[in-house]
Amino acid sequence: MAEENSGQMASEPLLAAWIKWTMDFWDTMAQMGPGLAGAGRSGGQAARETSVSESPWLAALNLWQAFFSLLTEAGTVAAVFQGIQAPSKIILRMARAGWGGYFYLHQQWLEGWQGGGSPSGKNAYENLDQDIFRACNEIFEQDFRRLLNLPHLCLTGLPQERVIRATVNFKQFQAAMAEFIYLLYLPVKKSLRAMGAGWVNGGTEKFPEDFKDYYKRWLKILEGHYMTLFQSAEYIRTLTHTLHALEDFTLAKQELLSEAMAALGLPTRREMDDLYREIYLLKKSVKVMARKLDQREPSQEEG
Amino acid sequence: MDRPKIPVDLILAKLAAEAEAAKHRLERARDIFHGPLATDIGTTPYELVYQADRVRLKYYRPEAARLKTPLLLVHGLFNRETLLDLQPGRSIVHNLLKEGLEVYLIEWGSPTRRDQFLTLDDHINGYMDDIVEFIRRRHGVPKVNLMGVCLGGTFAVIYAALHPEKIRNLITTATPTHFNTAKGLLHIWMQEIDVDRLVNAFGNLPGNLVNAAFLLLNPPRLLLDKYLGFLENMDNKDFVENFIRMEKWIFDSPDVPGETVRQVIKDLYQENLLVQGKMRLGGRRVDLRRLTMPLLNIYGQYDHLVPPEACEVLAEKVGSRDTENVCLDTGHVGIYVSSRFQKETIPKIAAWLLAREG
Repeated sequence: MAEENSGQMASEPLLAAWIKWTMDFWDTMAQMGPGLAGAGRSGGQAARETSVSESPWLAALNLWQAFFSLLTEAGTVAAVFQGIQAPSKIILRMARAGWGGYFYLHQQWLEGWQGGGSPSGKNAYENLDQDIFRACNEIFEQDFRRLLNLPHLCLTGLPQERVIRATVNFKQFQAAMAEFIYLLYLPVKKSLRAMGAGWVNGGTEKFPEDFKDYYKRWLKILEGHYMTLFQSAEYIRTLTHTLHALEDFTLAKQELLSEAMAALGLPTRREMDDLYREIYLLKKSVKVMARKLDQREPSQEEG
Repeated sequence: MDRPKIPVDLILAKLAAEAEAAKHRLERARDIFHGPLATDIGTTPYELVYQADRVRLKYYRPEAARLKTPLLLVHGLFNRETLLDLQPGRSIVHNLLKEGLEVYLIEWGSPTRRDQFLTLDDHINGYMDDIVEFIRRRHGVPKVNLMGVCLGGTFAVIYAALHPEKIRNLITTATPTHFNTAKGLLHIWMQEIDVDRLVNAFGNLPGNLVNAAFLLLNPPRLLLDKYLGFLENMDNKDFVENFIRMEKWIFDSPDVPGETVRQVIKDLYQENLLVQGKMRLGGRRVDLRRLTMPLLNIYGQYDHLVPPEACEVLAEKVGSRDTENVCLDTGHVGIYVSSRFQKETIPKIAAWLLAREG
């Protein structure tokens, strides 16, 4: 028991240190972004509303700041541990190791972030949107693909062409898939923004006391956003584009593999497909003939 | 700076209580996971009575048969027929046997690349017709009862329209026949699919692609909430076993023969030919007015995969005057696994068949 208590006591300063790190991080984040700083600290109501609509970060930021500042109040940390009474030694040891590791990793991550320069610099990701996929494609098409288009000559020309085609199609499939996954992430972003808007920046809604209610409400909003997305023309366009890219890559990969299999003296997929088609047609013909025979037999017996 | 009114103390208290409950749940779950789990599906005893290529026919014998006409169950090609026998003692097959019905179930098997050229005609006028012939001969009856499940129901409708003389009664469950509806996501997406490219690239439609498509119908529920529900109930052995059975079934979608997919998507989803009486199969027109046998059409009100709009039109289009639409208060899979379906609808099906035994 004494060991458990000492373990509990040892976790408290760790948790407090982690909370401080997190607080500092969000504070720095708020000061970095002009939109965030303006809306969150000194701007008027109109400015705040504009900013919420512009940046989903703001809602989460204010919420986290409020949450963590309350966490640091006297007795709150102790209350966290008070709720979990008498855990077994193993569970406690596992939890202690888990928390310790998490705090350490999180601290490393924050240090990396703060030391990595301003998020408005070249490493920024807050402006990440679907344009980045188009930009990546353009870079590939303009700078890399032309290298792959060098004339394919002599004996190795055809295999080289197939390798390049498979490479290009793989890259195009990856790009399409990235765009598709980004599109799937959008409802999550929108639902979090919608959730935060009710409570921060003068929102009048009461924060649910049970986090499960919060989750249920978020899930319902998320579902709604997904249903809207899935019926949109943009989603259907991206879905079909991704499928086409997958199909093109699959065909290019098959051609490349067929080349290798032919070189090894193995039957290729196309050869096997031709064989399957012949077997299918033969079986069908045999079945038709068998049915005709079945129908003829009784009449012959009668005759 | 405005601060949200967050009841941190209450939230933390609830979180702490939840953490404690989770710890106890985890301890109990550990015992469950380390012990034997009964997660087999398709366990109701059956006899394999017929096989052609990959297609097999299972026969389930009741203790005492109440009907002379056997019932043939036809599942779709996109999922396994084991949905109908998911939970031992509480499956559709088991309950149909309890009602005294002789049950046959088509197992479409696992198509391989050599099956890619099989058409809708091969499945309906080929395998299905051979199976119906086999059952008729085996029981010495002129007609069989036919019950279709999901797209298997569409197969059943087409078959019954082409061979009405062999079907005594037709039951459709969650069966789409009117495909031109914007209510179901699948119906919307299918309009834009270039099925020729798809089939040319893959040969057969890969089962994993089908799985992914089903997951995309509702990611918050199917990829998140479902598994949180599992975590919350992992100390309940029955729940865990049923959950794993369902997972096994969901993610075991077979590949689907390419030529059949081509025709299903083009003729049904994109052209909506069936309900217009314009669909052709094996050189013959599929005329729904030839469905003169009694029809029981069951579907789910909250079915997002096959919405009611895709199902309910059938009763108006058939030639039979003995038709009944039954809209259940459930979703797609719920029709087959919900306790309400097991307790209420299966006895209703049995009574409906009994009244029309002739």
